[in-house]
Amino acid sequence: MADPRVYGAKLSAFSRMLRLEGLAAGPRETEDACRILIRLGLEDRDLVKTALRTVYAKSLEEQGIFDRVFDGFFLSEEAMRQLAREQAENDRRLEENRRQAQQDLTLNGQPMNLSDTQREVYATMPEEMREKLRSFMDRYRQNAERNQDLYNNFIHSVFQKTLMEQQIKMEDAAVGCASMDPEVGILYRDISQFQDHEIPKAIDTIQKIARQINSELSAKRKNRGRSEKLDFRRTIRKALETGGTFHRLRYRKKRQRKKHLVLLCDVSGSMVQFSEFALRFIQSLNNTSDSSRVFLFSEDMVEADPFSLQNMDLFRTYVKESGIYGRGTDLGSALEALCALRPAVLGESTTLLILSDTKTVDQPRAIRALAQAKHLAGQILWLNPIPENRWEYLKSAKGISSICTMLSCNTLHALTAACKRLAKM
Amino acid sequence: MDQAGYIYDDTLATVLAVSLELGRPLLIEGAAGVGKTEIAKVMASALGRELVRLQCYEGLDESKALYEWNYQKQLLSIQLRMQSQDSHQLPRDLFSDEFLLERPLLKSIRSEKPVVLLIDEIDKADEEFEAFLLELLSDMQVTIPESGTIKAKSVPFVVLTSNRARPLSEALRRRCAYLYIPYPDLDKELAILRTKLPHVDDRLSAQVALAVQKLRSSDVILKKPSIAESLDWAAALDALGIAELTPDALRSTAGFVLKNEEDLAALDTMEDLVPGSCGGSCSHCGGHDHG
Repeated sequence: MADPRVYGAKLSAFSRMLRLEGLAAGPRETEDACRILIRLGLEDRDLVKTALRTVYAKSLEEQGIFDRVFDGFFLSEEAMRQLAREQAENDRRLEENRRQAQQDLTLNGQPMNLSDTQREVYATMPEEMREKLRSFMDRYRQNAERNQDLYNNFIHSVFQKTLMEQQIKMEDAAVGCASMDPEVGILYRDISQFQDHEIPKAIDTIQKIARQINSELSAKRKNRGRSEKLDFRRTIRKALETGGTFHRLRYRKKRQRKKHLVLLCDVSGSMVQFSEFALRFIQSLNNTSDSSRVFLFSEDMVEADPFSLQNMDLFRTYVKESGIYGRGTDLGSALEALCALRPAVLGESTTLLILSDTKTVDQPRAIRALAQAKHLAGQILWLNPIPENRWEYLKSAKGISSICTMLSCNTLHALTAACKRLAKM
Repeated sequence: MDQAGYIYDDTLATVLAVSLELGRPLLIEGAAGVGKTEIAKVMASALGRELVRLQCYEGLDESKALYEWNYQKQLLSIQLRMQSQDSHQLPRDLFSDEFLLERPLLKSIRSEKPVVLLIDEIDKADEEFEAFLLELLSDMQVTIPESGTIKAKSVPFVVLTSNRARPLSEALRRRCAYLYIPYPDLDKELAILRTKLPHVDDRLSAQVALAVQKLRSSDVILKKPSIAESLDWAAALDALGIAELTPDALRSTAGFVLKNEEDLAALDTMEDLVPGSCGGSCSHCGGHDHG
């Protein structure tokens, strides 16, 4: 049996890695894991993995994270050999690519004005990306003779664009989702990437989550506080059970005032699928609001007929027939029209929920109109299908998020979090 | 577990061993009908312990789960002792064991012999009840305001089950060892059918198991059939004297395995589900004769 201190040190490091991945691996879990390892040893890797998973992972989602971290931390012998082989092969390929990069990244026989990082990135790019870049550089090479600075700037911008495209592709691929449990995986995939055959599953998932949120909210409301007023009738009735003794006093429950919800949905082109899902989700939350009105907009704004929101086919047909589908987005005009509606739609008890990717014509006008809507409505919440890490590249998203609360909702998981927040507002 | 006829794999055996070794409650999650509750029953039988079960539901509180005072008996006792001189003794007596009604949680920790405590469908209970359980799960003790803290005489093996109808609190999860039971694979499903329904023809069991696997892996089926439904289906086919799962037999008995209208409608669109619908071109339809 190995020295328990060795296990302790190893498991502390392992717990730290799990914590970095978001698992609540505290001293108690480490202690439990240590006890298990002392008992089992490290000979049977699968047995150790199952036992430690029991201790560290406390949900199906956490089991996936645990397996990934465990496989990276406790490598099997075969995996170590394979890793060493792959590393040697990668080093050899990288060295070859660096030599190739030196030849490719030249201009008039001189090395191009590129940073070391950019050269290194070029060397690590897949061959097809390098080929794409080379063809760009060749196409515009004659410009270099006229103005070298302009050509250098152009090459820099091509580099930046290629890198950003590569990053976006990696994010869209949602690494690891494919190998996850399909029920969990669909929660973390981009809503706009759902295939037709996945839509029933996604709808089923939405309904399950909506049921969860509804039951959580109803349980909370039921138990939420009491008013100071005594409920005589219930107190006397309850006292009959104990021979007329007022053993437990009953109080009147506080009446909950639900809010009015106004939804403004962008249905221009690529936003339709997201709007459908988000609307379906919000409509399923029967505890969210007392009443709701839905407005659809692209270049113009129309109020949605409640019957058209009953299912996705009806919704699509309705949007197409309303004449606003597939056109550009004019948020400013939609918000102005909403604020000008009489009788007034927005008021102090209203929560305005906007479903849009913030891409709109005439941004200054949109921001002015949003400020006006904020003044009229009780609260504004913006659900944006673009991931938060891309907002910094979008001026409109930056501007709008400074005025109202904006939540990223590109996946069902994020949409769930946003809807929970909406329900608790 | 073998004696109890429970089909298990290495993962389940390891998790149970770890949970017992550490003395931690075991939280089992999984879809309905995959055998979560059965694990507690089998463990009680395997460990030779009594099974104490607490079925959770919305509104469950400590008076139903832990203890309640016997008010009627207390009132009668007050009436009887009205004339008694010792007025100080009365309140003490009223909150003694004599007037305490034990509920499952209290029963499990006051038992002289260790028991298996099954807290079933914890996700159906309110969050407040979860919080109330924390003291019991972490320190194996409960506090009754009138009589103080009661420590467990023997440590029960606690099994909590959840269908994931709502997420459980982090605090509760942290106190438990965790097990997720997925739907069984083909071999395990077949083994379950053979064990639970030994009188059913082996070929029919294989066809049922294969068809259920295909239904579960289909995207169009919304409510996936559970093990209990596979067993019901096989038993129903057997009771009807059906020896082979043909498309006609499937249609007439589909209600045993699919439980909503959309899924039953989707069944017609699914090809290659049972022998005979594949035109004899498949290589894995449960050993039926294409000849």
